[in-house]
Amino acid sequence: MNKDSVLPNITLVGPPNSGKTTLFNLLSGKNHKTINYPGSTIEYNSSGFQEKYNINANLLDSPGIISLLPNSPDEEVTIDSLYEHPEFGTPNLIIVTVDASQLSRHLLLAEQLIDSKFKIIVVVTMIDILGKKGYKVCAKDLEKKLNCDVVKIDGRNGKGIGKLISKISLILEEQKLSATDKPIKIDEEICESKLLKHFKKIEQIESEVIKKIVPDENIIEANKSLNVLNQPLQHKPDSLTIKLDRIFLHRFWGLFIFFISMGVVFTSIFWLALPLMELVDESFASLAGIATDYFGYSWYGDFIADGIISSLGAVLVFVPQILILFLILGFLEDTGYLARGAMLIDKPLSKIGLNGRSFVPMLSGFACAIPAILAARTISNRKERLLTIFIIPLMSCSARLPVYALLIAFLVPKEEIIWAGFILSFIYLFSIISSVLVAAIVNKFRKSIIREEDNSSFILELPTYKMPKVKSVLRNTYTSTKQYLRGAGPIIIGFSIVLWMLTYFPNTNPNISTENLTQSEYHEAQKIERVATSYASDLGRFIQPIMEPIGMDWRVGVSLISAFVAREVFVSALALIFKVTGDEETIRSSILQAMRNAKIEGTDQKLFTPATILGLIVFFVFAMQCLSTVAVAKKETGSWRIPILQIVIYTGIAYIATFITVNGLRLVGIA
Amino acid sequence: MKTAAELTFGELATIDEVDNSHPSFRRILEIGFTPGQQIELLSKSIFNDPLAFSLRGTMVAIRRGEAQSIKLL
Repeated sequence: MNKDSVLPNITLVGPPNSGKTTLFNLLSGKNHKTINYPGSTIEYNSSGFQEKYNINANLLDSPGIISLLPNSPDEEVTIDSLYEHPEFGTPNLIIVTVDASQLSRHLLLAEQLIDSKFKIIVVVTMIDILGKKGYKVCAKDLEKKLNCDVVKIDGRNGKGIGKLISKISLILEEQKLSATDKPIKIDEEICESKLLKHFKKIEQIESEVIKKIVPDENIIEANKSLNVLNQPLQHKPDSLTIKLDRIFLHRFWGLFIFFISMGVVFTSIFWLALPLMELVDESFASLAGIATDYFGYSWYGDFIADGIISSLGAVLVFVPQILILFLILGFLEDTGYLARGAMLIDKPLSKIGLNGRSFVPMLSGFACAIPAILAARTISNRKERLLTIFIIPLMSCSARLPVYALLIAFLVPKEEIIWAGFILSFIYLFSIISSVLVAAIVNKFRKSIIREEDNSSFILELPTYKMPKVKSVLRNTYTSTKQYLRGAGPIIIGFSIVLWMLTYFPNTNPNISTENLTQSEYHEAQKIERVATSYASDLGRFIQPIMEPIGMDWRVGVSLISAFVAREVFVSALALIFKVTGDEETIRSSILQAMRNAKIEGTDQKLFTPATILGLIVFFVFAMQCLSTVAVAKKETGSWRIPILQIVIYTGIAYIATFITVNGLRLVGIA
Repeated sequence: MKTAAELTFGELATIDEVDNSHPSFRRILEIGFTPGQQIELLSKSIFNDPLAFSLRGTMVAIRRGEAQSIKLL
């Protein structure tokens, strides 16, 4: 038995936007960890309590739900683990968060939990916002009506936490003395028929526990307004939010602002991340240099420098972009704007079988498919979630950028840099349009591809606009980055090492005449000879027949196979195979030079022409090349079906589209 | 009978019932669209779908098809 499971389990439960995460952050201390369940959306954050509270228990943060009745297979798993968590067991205590100004909706969950015989404490949050409207919640009254403990907490300054802690300790002490009843899973049909009854009850409760704040110094005035005293809370959404939404949700301007802001988000990600990515790249290159100097030119020296250090670099080079994307997305989410974005884009996306909620995952796909696929967990409809996961690899992720940069540099002379930007934008546009088309086609054949039918719906609360909380945004960014490192890291490193071995063996110490060569020149020449006689080149020659119809030869084939580690490896693989040497500064122009001179083996025909370069770009737009994505897609969909279909369909499309591009261009006279 | 999908801006209406044959019936209730509640149309997205309503002091966006299942008094 796990030692954690001996400790009492205290689970936080609450509807979305009820301040649950804020409370978790206030209470949680060390040993913070995230637990995921394969094939489902469940993600529990767990942690111990802060030391000063002196409570020895596991604190679990569960996914936001509005009711104990599941509406999707994934919600069902979430709710089942509330009753019996696979690692932590049945909760000893559930803390339910409810927004003070949303009692008539949020208390539903509390009622259902009480019905199920859970021991609960209700935490009323956002009392400041209700206070601004001139109302307050009477916790004592609410305790009596619900027949459970109620604590009010101000999330901004943590006021009320002390009271909550002492109630928790008291309940845990009591439970030590006498065993508690095990909660009973409520029957779905009975629970459904009770929904309206529950609502009637909590509406009644709300009208009785919410009171108008009467300023003490104005007792006479208060008496005058006695008739107003018992008037129920006026249910009006935040007036600033309504005003802002006249613009942000305007049927024309709203969409306009939405596209402009997304454009700004994208371009800023590239500009902000580029210098950082270069920094990571350079540091690992120099680290590899240091390692070579230290270990000398030997097989283990090469292994450490080119095998281990370079593959670590290949993993970490994407971290800046992922960090920045999730920071920006997190801030937008926290302000409440992303929910509006989902609403604006829902109709167009529903036409191709997706959902407004697919939008954020797809957007994340432009940085990296791994956190994007994980982000698809917010889509409650299983069919739409699988379809979203299916098309995410078509989003132009950051690993494609170095490849496009090299290929575009081949097409456009250095002086005409504006054209390069233009072509890059065109590639992005092309990839967006083609992914829409692919999604539409996949949707048509979803019965055989996705194999899930589910009632499509879009019911989304639009939260009040507010200033984002830096702490929670940072925590989410940290989690997403960790997901990338965990999901992609081991695969990229492992496969890079395999690839290194394929290019290194069997001819580890080739004979080269040492005439007129400095030591480093000699080792570079050795390196090139080693690759030319390696297993990788055997493999490349084996696939030569497949490469010929698209105008390429085995060397490009080997580079394309290498790109399965991560797409940007294509560039370094080309460098190796085309015998490019030199320092980091000149390597790009040397590759370009080598590419311009390269001929298809055994002929006089140029290998890289505008036609084949455009063909390669098309190949990278479609091909499913990233092994880490395959692994994450397998984990998230719970089977190999979808990732294997992605490999077959996308790489198939890539091959055919490249074939058409290269041969079509040749037909119209562009070599 | 008028449904929530036919509301015009600024018009206040009270929910009579939610069509229990709608596949999202339960979720519509759970988010708070229950008989007796007052709702107001706050915004329409492009193509008039989804629609955002003021409900129980918050804003909820639902698709036109879902709004059609909400019958008004």
